[in-house]
Amino acid sequence: MVPIVKVSKLDKYFGRLHVLKAIDLEVVQREVVCLIGRSGSGKSTLLRCINFLEEPSHGSIEVDGIKVEGGHKGKERRQFIHDVRLKTGMVFQEFNLFPHMSVLENVIEGPVTVKGMDKNQAIALAEENLDNVGLLFKKDEYPNRLSGGQKQRVAIARALTMQPRVMLFDEPTSALDPELIGEVLNVMKKVAKDGMTMIVVTHEMGFAREVADRVLVMAEGEIIEDSKPEALFKHPKDPRTKALIDRYRTGEK
Amino acid sequence: MNLLLSKKDDAPKTQAELLYEIQIRKERHFRANVALSWFILLLILVMLFSGQKINIGPFQLKTIHIDTAFIFNNMGFIAAGLQETIRISVLSILLAMILALLAALGRLSTFPPVYALSTFYVSLIRGTPLYLQIFFFFLALPQLGIILPGLWAGVLALGLNYGAYMSEIFRAGLSSVGKGQREAAMALGMTPSQTMRRVVLPQALRFAIPPIGNDFIAMTKDSALVSATGFVHELMWRSVKVGRAEFHNLEALIMAAIFYWMMTIILSYFQNILETRLSKGDR
Repeated sequence: MVPIVKVSKLDKYFGRLHVLKAIDLEVVQREVVCLIGRSGSGKSTLLRCINFLEEPSHGSIEVDGIKVEGGHKGKERRQFIHDVRLKTGMVFQEFNLFPHMSVLENVIEGPVTVKGMDKNQAIALAEENLDNVGLLFKKDEYPNRLSGGQKQRVAIARALTMQPRVMLFDEPTSALDPELIGEVLNVMKKVAKDGMTMIVVTHEMGFAREVADRVLVMAEGEIIEDSKPEALFKHPKDPRTKALIDRYRTGEK
Repeated sequence: MNLLLSKKDDAPKTQAELLYEIQIRKERHFRANVALSWFILLLILVMLFSGQKINIGPFQLKTIHIDTAFIFNNMGFIAAGLQETIRISVLSILLAMILALLAALGRLSTFPPVYALSTFYVSLIRGTPLYLQIFFFFLALPQLGIILPGLWAGVLALGLNYGAYMSEIFRAGLSSVGKGQREAAMALGMTPSQTMRRVVLPQALRFAIPPIGNDFIAMTKDSALVSATGFVHELMWRSVKVGRAEFHNLEALIMAAIFYWMMTIILSYFQNILETRLSKGDR
């Protein structure tokens, strides 16, 4: 199968710090890939390089046939990055809803402003997606009136309404109170079930185990393990993976 | 229905309700006392201008004599300056807001000439007195062959001056918008100008509105400096003019003071309403 996301020889430096080391990654359509690892392992940076919120130092990123590599400069590069962003939806740890817009306005903002979609059409699409995350009845509220879980579900609806080819989740439940995590994970499961390609940076091992097709383990800027969740959780190859899973198991009890 | 209501009123109050009532009563009491004190202070102020000699024990307090006839005769002439004062203030604050926003954006720019232009402007304006700047515009512009009506030269001077100070407010407003907001906009595919227009500016402006209100109130009084050039017939100019003409400078100034003060009280009232409304908003 042709990969929808292809990352080749990706390097990222923060100053002299080498945070991503020649990463190669391919994700095919409808695949759900979870990225796990300790904080500082580079998993969020890798995700953020895919839609160029972080500028890669070397290497190439290809999303749905649009390839951006080091040789591209100036206007051409900006255009490619713009195209890549149109094909990727992003969900942030801190939700980042626009506080001066209602829920509905948040969700239609992208299609109307960026894609120039007809407003009524955008509203229809937005309402469908808000209904999917169970928050259509909150469409006229402002974000400050929502719980963290509700905010994150709106953020998911906002990203989906751009009709992306792949969804990027950057620790979507890490800023939530424990009792609100479930509702967000359920929405994510639904999105996966509907056939969306997803790359998820998470600490939720239960989610990774249940929903992911593949789990990648990162440590010190490298992907140290890449396998099916069952295999990974039962027989971790790398001792660092084992330590990570053990820690999660003790945390569970 | 009535029966139900009266029954409810008779029900014994809970501890929390009682505490709340005490709190409310205390606040009311405080406010009443403040109002009374204001009234007394005002009375003392008026007494000071009564022209009477007041005996307090062995001391005799002299007060200022005011010619009330003069005040009544010239009330209309000075009041006519209110309109001009408000006009120059409104126009100046609009100009100041535009300049302040540009200066703030320049200050956040990574392009050296733009950054330099912004800091140069702010430094020059903050480094010289407003009084001097106002004269400068009246004197320098004609030499450049630019003849502006008095009002516009005044607006230019006041707007440039306040713009420099207000750029700090706008900069704080722009910085108050979190990095996550820009990232969310970028991830949606917004261009930098769309991000600025749709996401950053609306939030920055909301942050900046209360301090802009403060500056506007300050400006209504600084606009008095424009009178010194003699070309703008606002409150101050009119009061100085009639005061000089009839040797009643003090009365004329007192009248101007009353007008400025009243105007400020009214503007502060609206400012308060605006601030309460914004603080209840969606932040």
